[in-house]
Amino acid sequence: MSDSGLWSTGPTVAPSPLHAVLEVSGAVLSWTVDDPSADPQITFTDPASADWLWRVLGEDGHRAVASTVDQAPPDEATAVDLTGVDVLPGTLDPLRRLAFGHWLRRWWPASQRDGIATLDAALLDAEIAILTAAADDFFSDDTFDSDVAEVLRPHVAALNAHVQEGDPRVVELVEKCTELADDVGIVFDTPAWSSRRDDYALAAGGDTGRTTSTTIASGVGSVRWSAVPAGVFDAAENTVNWSVESADDAATATVRVELSGLGSPNGVSVRLRSGSLGGDGALGADGRAAFPVVDSDQQAVSESAAWGHDWRATELTIGADGGETAQTRERIRTFARSRLAAPANDAYLAEILAAESDY
Amino acid sequence: MSTAETAVAVAHPRRAVIDRAWRAIGPGVEVLSGDDGGPLRRTVKRIIDPLVLRLRSNTQFSAPFVAADVAEAMYDTIVGQAAQMRAAAAWFELLKRERRRLRITSGNAQELYFPVCFELAVTKGAPAQPDSGEAESVLREIHDDRDRTAIEVLNTYSSDHLVITELGDQLRSSWKDVRAGNEITGPFLSGLTTVLGHADSHSAVAARQRVWQALIADVTPYNLGAAAHESAARLPWSIVTLGLSSAEPQGPPAVIGGSDSERPLNRSVIDRVRATLRRAMDREELPDVPMLCEEEVDRCCAPWGLMAEDKQATLVAGIEVAVDLAPLSETATTRYDLARQIQARLRKEAYVLHARRYLADDGPIHPRQQQVIDDLAAFARPYLSRLWARLHGRDVWQEPCSDVDDVRALLEGVARSVSLDHRQRIKTMLELQVAG
Repeated sequence: MSDSGLWSTGPTVAPSPLHAVLEVSGAVLSWTVDDPSADPQITFTDPASADWLWRVLGEDGHRAVASTVDQAPPDEATAVDLTGVDVLPGTLDPLRRLAFGHWLRRWWPASQRDGIATLDAALLDAEIAILTAAADDFFSDDTFDSDVAEVLRPHVAALNAHVQEGDPRVVELVEKCTELADDVGIVFDTPAWSSRRDDYALAAGGDTGRTTSTTIASGVGSVRWSAVPAGVFDAAENTVNWSVESADDAATATVRVELSGLGSPNGVSVRLRSGSLGGDGALGADGRAAFPVVDSDQQAVSESAAWGHDWRATELTIGADGGETAQTRERIRTFARSRLAAPANDAYLAEILAAESDY
Repeated sequence: MSTAETAVAVAHPRRAVIDRAWRAIGPGVEVLSGDDGGPLRRTVKRIIDPLVLRLRSNTQFSAPFVAADVAEAMYDTIVGQAAQMRAAAAWFELLKRERRRLRITSGNAQELYFPVCFELAVTKGAPAQPDSGEAESVLREIHDDRDRTAIEVLNTYSSDHLVITELGDQLRSSWKDVRAGNEITGPFLSGLTTVLGHADSHSAVAARQRVWQALIADVTPYNLGAAAHESAARLPWSIVTLGLSSAEPQGPPAVIGGSDSERPLNRSVIDRVRATLRRAMDREELPDVPMLCEEEVDRCCAPWGLMAEDKQATLVAGIEVAVDLAPLSETATTRYDLARQIQARLRKEAYVLHARRYLADDGPIHPRQQQVIDDLAAFARPYLSRLWARLHGRDVWQEPCSDVDDVRALLEGVARSVSLDHRQRIKTMLELQVAG
């Protein structure tokens, strides 16, 4: 099938963030994460570089696809039926697992509030690095996220720290990584340090009592995952608390977002829109923001005007515009819970450990 | 059925042929093989392709699909070197052990050692038992800063005021010698439509090559490059906007000084020579430094800072492609088929970032990424910087750009590597943020 100037095969996959993608030499593969039986969609970015295709489709299949995609794809969507070309069973499983590992890294809905345990980033990447090295034939020097050294490098200290904990599965994984690290040119014997962060548990209080303020309106909102970096926010719904308060006769918006993970929310933008009123700010490292409410002329809004405003249709945006629907997020949480409840055969060690800690 | 179709019907994917031959070698090459027994990617890239199949001279082995007789020849060539492969594997094992013992951790072991191991296998057979210290000296040689010596010679040479003055005199007179002619540019630019266009038959492919042959003999690229020295108004693009020069019209570069971040056409002569020496790591035949400098003075005065017409023509073709590329734009229009393909690829690659939560809908997912995103919007600038550097290298080493498929592959490859760089930066900016 021709899709915006590139050839692709296979089923249409669910929209991001429901799909796991992997860039290989000359193509991008995508799978729907919660449909393990489905074939991937293969989009050819450079058919001539996809020299691994015979492994997946057999030589005849490779030939059939190559002679089709050799033609320039037409601008409008067209379908070409390649009868008899099928993915050889099992040949894509390692790649799917790798794509899924990258997906876990980015989209796993860790949440204290929802009780979905965090996955250990170092262990995940360690396994991703090993799988990447094993699938070496499918990559080139120009493929994204296929540089084993770059995947491993940030985690050297954390992995060494894990070894101290003595879980034999972890020890085995780290040993494999040490060997790999040797080959790709990174040093693996830095002293251990603790990778745990305890200081970000939501510290309530601390910045109260600067001025006496009255709450004019308040509400809750949700973070859209695609609009914010991974590993920063609690992935539950309704984690954004906002209020409009008056202080010194001006209306001020205060926003607090629940955090989770090691990342800092510092600098992530916040937008409040409520009819003709609104305001913009940025979160601090504590997940809070306060900014003046302004009218359509960017003028400060007085206390009385704020009291007179109907705040029911207030919308709060954290991060970029756009993003997935609440249903999509719920579907991913359901999927994550099912992975934790009964770790699949292809589960990552980080998932298994999270499931075990989940008692 | 025509003969061409018969040939296609029995053609084999070249990697499948290599894989079969590799497996026929049997045991003894495990360190050069993947878990499934096939050759590692780097075994193919660093040993089989360049040293066993020797693609440079045996171009019939480099097609993505090969006919049965070619496949057989490839198979025989690889299996015929089975003993050398086993010896190379033994050398690699030895070098890896020594690497560990010497606590060397820099560089990718496969990338660096594979060609050396094969060379050792061919010249010396399997490593001696016990090892006589040869492995250690091989490693020392690899990890010695190989380009350092030449660069030191350059530094000493360029610290001589007299040398710099002489090069400066040469530069002033060479610069004056370059003058744009008044020939019209239309035919060249319309010829590019064919070169950068699609060819879906053998005759169209042949026609494309013929047109390119004509274009590299055309004076237009020379004239445009020379005109850039004289007046910005005589060019269809702005060399400042393209990021090739910091000023319009382009002035003569300095002999020495400035920084690496200088735009390509503003880099000093000595910096250009230094870049040549840095890239010359694998080369044995390095001209002497004074000669390189003199040559570089003439080159930097030449239109586009490139001596050969085929390099000048390739740069102009690259400019025409580059101005159409916009990885983050859904609405960008392209005038050439090749640019359309590259743009479609860049879009898909940007989409991978989105699916990996490194980008929101074509915009930053964190304000810290804004700078990189802005750079990406001006894609032509990094694209042309990199293309120019590659062409400069080819110009120095007199590697041709006369094959149209090779030129098209170069234009695509530069886009791929610039895109990878940018995506890496977008990702890094996000990780910095998360860590901070």
